[in-house]
Amino acid sequence: MKSVPTLSSAFLHPAGQSLPEPLLALRKQRASALVDMPLPTRKTENWKYSSKYLKLADDMAISLPAEGKGGNSLAVPGYKVVFNNGVMIPEASEYPDLNGIIIQSFSDLDEDDAKAVSLQLGSTLDHDQAQFARVNGARFEDGLFIRLAPGAVLDQPLFVIHETTADASGSAYPRIYVEAGANSQMTLVEEYISSGDASALVNTVTEFNLADGANITSIRLNMEGENVQHIGATGVLQQRSSRFESHCVGFGGPLRRHDLQVRLEGEGAETKLNGVVVTQGKQHYDNHTSIDHVAAHCNSEETYRNIAADQSHAIFNGRIHIHQDAQKSNADMNNKNLLLSNGAEIDTKPELEIYADDVKCAHGATIGQLDETSVFYLVSRGIGRRQANVLLTMAFINELVQQIPVEAVRETAQARLNDFFEQTFQEA
Amino acid sequence: MATTDNEVKELIKREYEHGFVTEIESDTFEPGLNEDVIRRLSEIKQEPEFMLEWRLKAYRRWLEMDEPEWAHVDFPKVDYNAISYYSAPKKKEDMPQSLDDVDPELLRTYEKLGIPLHERAKLAGVAVDAVFDSVSVATTFKEPLEKAGVIFCPISEAVQKYPELVKKYLGSVVPAGDNYFAALNSAVFSDGSFVYIPKGVRCPMELSTYFRINAANTGQFERTLIIAEEGSYVSYLEGCTAPMRDENQLHAAVVELVALDDAQIKYSTVQNWYPGDENGKGGIYNFVTKRGACIGKNSKISWTQVETGSAITWKYPSCVLRGENSVGEFYSVALTHNYQQADTGTKMIHLGKNTKSTIISKGISAGRSSNAYRGLVKFGPGAEGARNFTQCDSLLIGDRCGAHTFPYIESKNKSAIVEHEATTSKVSDEQMFLCRQRGIDPEQAVSMIVNGFCKEVFKELPMEFAVEAGKLLEVSLEGSVG
Repeated sequence: MKSVPTLSSAFLHPAGQSLPEPLLALRKQRASALVDMPLPTRKTENWKYSSKYLKLADDMAISLPAEGKGGNSLAVPGYKVVFNNGVMIPEASEYPDLNGIIIQSFSDLDEDDAKAVSLQLGSTLDHDQAQFARVNGARFEDGLFIRLAPGAVLDQPLFVIHETTADASGSAYPRIYVEAGANSQMTLVEEYISSGDASALVNTVTEFNLADGANITSIRLNMEGENVQHIGATGVLQQRSSRFESHCVGFGGPLRRHDLQVRLEGEGAETKLNGVVVTQGKQHYDNHTSIDHVAAHCNSEETYRNIAADQSHAIFNGRIHIHQDAQKSNADMNNKNLLLSNGAEIDTKPELEIYADDVKCAHGATIGQLDETSVFYLVSRGIGRRQANVLLTMAFINELVQQIPVEAVRETAQARLNDFFEQTFQEA
Repeated sequence: MATTDNEVKELIKREYEHGFVTEIESDTFEPGLNEDVIRRLSEIKQEPEFMLEWRLKAYRRWLEMDEPEWAHVDFPKVDYNAISYYSAPKKKEDMPQSLDDVDPELLRTYEKLGIPLHERAKLAGVAVDAVFDSVSVATTFKEPLEKAGVIFCPISEAVQKYPELVKKYLGSVVPAGDNYFAALNSAVFSDGSFVYIPKGVRCPMELSTYFRINAANTGQFERTLIIAEEGSYVSYLEGCTAPMRDENQLHAAVVELVALDDAQIKYSTVQNWYPGDENGKGGIYNFVTKRGACIGKNSKISWTQVETGSAITWKYPSCVLRGENSVGEFYSVALTHNYQQADTGTKMIHLGKNTKSTIISKGISAGRSSNAYRGLVKFGPGAEGARNFTQCDSLLIGDRCGAHTFPYIESKNKSAIVEHEATTSKVSDEQMFLCRQRGIDPEQAVSMIVNGFCKEVFKELPMEFAVEAGKLLEVSLEGSVG
């Protein structure tokens, strides 16, 4: 056996001791399991296409210091929680004190809640598939805990702004845990942004635990800078008749990885996953999703679109697993890709693993370029070639962008996409 | 002993007719694998020096490799030192003396498949007498082939008679170190077929291993090499629909196809090795590496397979589309029942301009079996205007089986277009109702529906084969409903 690279021991030492005791204990226990954690290589199936982008230097193991700046006073149409380098900044956050809804940083949890949370953290994730969630489990310095009492409804979207300030090399480990009681509802918007230009690692974990009839919408916008490697994982556990909807919009970077794992554990649960990824330059983006139909009568619908320009590399890996007793499952997965340049690469792997017979499952995947005849059609009607390209490329993903239920996010995404088109279709 | 001597003499005589003399030193090697075993094997086969070197090199590579574990199959580890790597053709005394000695279950299956009486004996491994001697069959076929200039012989014969061809092409498509089982095969391959179609020749008949003289006992490490020169065409059939009697558990074959400019190779397989009993005991492990290289312009390689046998099938017939405008095709029906496991699919590697490929895969799982499609479609940067269409459908019969799809799609060329579709469904109650209502019994109804499901693939098979394949599915599905 050739030796496999392992995670540098520099990564084993968490900073920030302000967490409640049960969480510190949990962190310590998880850290001991990290010793000699093998790093993914080309031979690691779920990192096959991405391992070459992973560049972890020892100086990146240092926790980035949280700066109480709370500076970027982004106006958001809703409630707001600001995290800097993985630590919550209460001064910059504005959220209500509503009946039946707890929104709290991990550091502020009382002993009992902390204990309850420590038992739950990580329970929604398959850590063998999302290896780096383990690192987060050993390193998180703070986090956001949200508890919706049965029937509680958050009237406006909650924006969680994760800002990474990388003035020197280092890493941040943001973490969110949402416990949604029966029939509760909320919309959570996660925005990942960064400042500074030292090389940094952002390693996130977001978890949703949905009780019967809960209805959660999750929106995730990844807009970090070219110096930030991002490895994130989202875990979702759904009970009877719950509904989960996810919208991910990702802009490429030196390394971007998101694992989204959904387990449908109660009958009649429904999930819908949408994703848009655009990459340019030498950027990279890797989306890994998995949907486990454990219970019968569940529905899942998944649509991902990737656009890769220049010498960039976009990857999609979707897995649908229908367990033995999950009869009457409906699962539909669709992945379309647009390759805009010959230097770019797109890899996709839509997997089905089915152990029940009375199911309807389908997946489709395509890779192609802009349709020449469509471009011609537009050009023949007096639209410039560049504009025609932009229009058609936009049309390719617009269907998904328009489905984002929060207008402000839609606009942010749209503006960033316009920049992308601007840069991608320069001349011609 | 007198009879034994006669047998041996006959054996030697038979081989002599085709220019192949062997001094059989021992009947069977002691189990185990090392360099000496390979040397002895090579010596018995009277191979030239370069072959021995090639085998040894492959063996050394194999030693350094790890057994792959990525496939979606589950089986106890194979002990490679418990296998004997050479055994001489069987003596007649060891075989069943007549059809009466053969398992009646097997005979019933033959009957259902409609296999002619004299062939049944041969298939069951009964010592057949000269009336149906494969030699005579072979000679009638040999004449027109020779006239056309086609070389069709055991690969061990080709190594001696056409060393320059073998040297040039053996391992050119599947290098010795390609994968674990290919390396093992390269080191110890027992025998197999060699086909060479000269420039511009259209092979006058379907080449089939079924009627070939060396069909019996090619052993567990079969090696096939087919070379189609410029503008030639050949259709090659492998295997047969009848269940074959075989004692070897592990089969690691390698098939290499080479198509030069404008050449066309059509390779059809029907595989029905012993799948184990209904409790999943026994059965053959079928770990095969099949690959074709479309080296020349406008060349075409087409794989068609019907896989119903083996406890474990692990097989990915692939095409490397190097030449401009070359075409790769893959049509597959894989049926698993009881505890069978199949992980099969294809690889289409598009390297040249305007290369095209089509993949149609139909998986049927019944009982407690597991059936996976695993495929790779890859477009290199030079695959300008390349095109792929993939469709894999799975049909589930029963609620304890599994059907999986693992397609890998990689594209590095913007003008390349790939489409992939997969669906999973079961035999619907409506379809069953329609058939039942018209007086068709459930078993027949399922077989009709399954046959319809597989039609796209069956129509690619040579006609007689297609008919047999349909019947084969019927037999294999027995007991899966009701």
